[in-house]
Amino acid sequence: MLMRALVLLLVLVVPASAATRLNVAIGADVNVVEVHKTLLGPGFKAQTPDVELNVVGTGTGEPASRAIYTKIRAQADAGRAPWDIDVALVSMAVASQMVKEGLLLRYVPRLKNAALVKGAEVKEAFGVNVDGYVVPMFQNQIAIAYNPARVAAPPKSFDELTKWVAANPGKFGYNGIKGGVSGVGFTMGWVYWKTGLYKQLTQGPFDRGREGAIREAITALRDFNRNVLITNGNAGTLDALNRGEIAMGVVWIDQLVAWKNEGRMDPSITPVLPAPGLPIYPLYLVVPREAASKDAAVRYIDYIATPEVQAKAIVERFGWYPGVDPDKVLPLISAKSRELLFKGVSAEDLARYSRQMPIKEYHDLIALAYEEIVR
Amino acid sequence: MVGVVFVWPLAVSVAASFTRAGVPTLGNYTTVWRLYLRDVGYTLAVSAAGTALTFALAIVVCGWLRVRAFAPVEFLLKVPLFVPFVVVGHALRVFLVPWAPALAGSWGGLVLALAWKHLGLAALLLVGAFRAVDESHLEAARNFGAGTARLTRDVLVPMSAPSLAVSAVLIFSSMLASFSIPLMMSRGGGAQMLMIDVYYRFGQHGDFETAAALGVVGYLMAMGAALVYLQRLAPVKRP
Repeated sequence: MLMRALVLLLVLVVPASAATRLNVAIGADVNVVEVHKTLLGPGFKAQTPDVELNVVGTGTGEPASRAIYTKIRAQADAGRAPWDIDVALVSMAVASQMVKEGLLLRYVPRLKNAALVKGAEVKEAFGVNVDGYVVPMFQNQIAIAYNPARVAAPPKSFDELTKWVAANPGKFGYNGIKGGVSGVGFTMGWVYWKTGLYKQLTQGPFDRGREGAIREAITALRDFNRNVLITNGNAGTLDALNRGEIAMGVVWIDQLVAWKNEGRMDPSITPVLPAPGLPIYPLYLVVPREAASKDAAVRYIDYIATPEVQAKAIVERFGWYPGVDPDKVLPLISAKSRELLFKGVSAEDLARYSRQMPIKEYHDLIALAYEEIVR
Repeated sequence: MVGVVFVWPLAVSVAASFTRAGVPTLGNYTTVWRLYLRDVGYTLAVSAAGTALTFALAIVVCGWLRVRAFAPVEFLLKVPLFVPFVVVGHALRVFLVPWAPALAGSWGGLVLALAWKHLGLAALLLVGAFRAVDESHLEAARNFGAGTARLTRDVLVPMSAPSLAVSAVLIFSSMLASFSIPLMMSRGGGAQMLMIDVYYRFGQHGDFETAAALGVVGYLMAMGAALVYLQRLAPVKRP
């Protein structure tokens, strides 16, 4: 973490030659960094030539977002302004924490595309009111991918999934809660299904009285896990699916699409979203409160939120779900991209079964119960 | 200088392990006790098994090398010294997965990878220690008909015992603190090496305090081994 923060510091202090320098810190994998460097950055620069982009990646997973948080928090604590990150792409958990701690600018009302920023996840994240502070760059859905050659009837519900796993021990895999967010998301989906408390767990208020039901659900998950292969990460699950070690596994849809596009994945592997659903997890574009180039930061995010840019760069190129109003973006994508994006998981499935993450107190309670009971 | 770069950060992290949101507490250690006690045992066991395997291999090969010097083998033995930890973890995983997928993600695979990586360091230390044994002792044993195995077991190992002990402590401590190899090889469930837990606590939960407490437990475990090392280094008082 410290090393990441130091590298970030070194990269950001290199002097720039252009009039306005926009420091963009990306708390996500290299492919997301590349989109900013090769597609979004040049596209934006063509419209706004006086801005020079400096894009830095901070790694993968939650720790990548935490590295950005640590840096901004340190600058806030030092009491010096301006801060040297203008735009950051961070996870839901970190964005909500930063809003809570007053580290972010409420910039969305200043966007031309502000009306397109809609949905439950831009209003509230982990129980924090994030309205006006965040624009999802894209949405990412957790789903169950299966090999049609080995799974005749993919599970339409968690109920069917548990029956299939009992009949096919060791052929279903996910990454637990220490191997990446897809496993965390599956665990949350399991708890929603077992407890039937989706609304309460995602909207609060926190009630410790629900702990019993949560622990009961996690105990059932422990028993379920006895017939499951716990992989070593999101990629590990895809790898096990590809090798045939498992026939079904919990994956990120974007990663599945990306691997297929790169020819690294059996193209027949198909995602399915069983009832009552699994979480969707957006990455948010945010502007730190004391960013040096606030105006350019807002213009850059406005550019990314444009339906045409979302359609070409986010959906067609990378197979992500649009971050802003899908009704405005999806009519602009090609038929081929549409087929790839919605193969197995239709737009209706998404509307019905995309779930939010729980509020932070329940999230931590579920993770703790998992560590204590499942181990 | 030592105070600034070593003692100060150490003191800050120890102090952090006894607080939560600025309030003094032992709660972080309760969490470690409740959630990670098994992992402490697992870490100790894996490190001990890894050290044992490393020495089981290194003693045999280094004994042979001491008796009949053969530069290419000695060079090959030291190659792991220059291979990064992440690469070792990845390579062993790729190597093991196709034919022993269960071993790749198990404690056995981890022990194998740790031993592979530390074999270079062990070879460096052991070959040096064995070479320090005077040739006349080996000659004497040979005159009584001792072969390579016998020379190693009855002459080289007993006469290099203090150096072997120090090497074992260094390798054991390095395995206790290993992170990249367990990260590359472990599965998302079951017992974990302690450094993985440290990473999980602050990476996933932003929980620096429990991570610091786990770190202190790590210091204490390594400290036990370091005490042995320091005792060896201390000048022996002769009557």
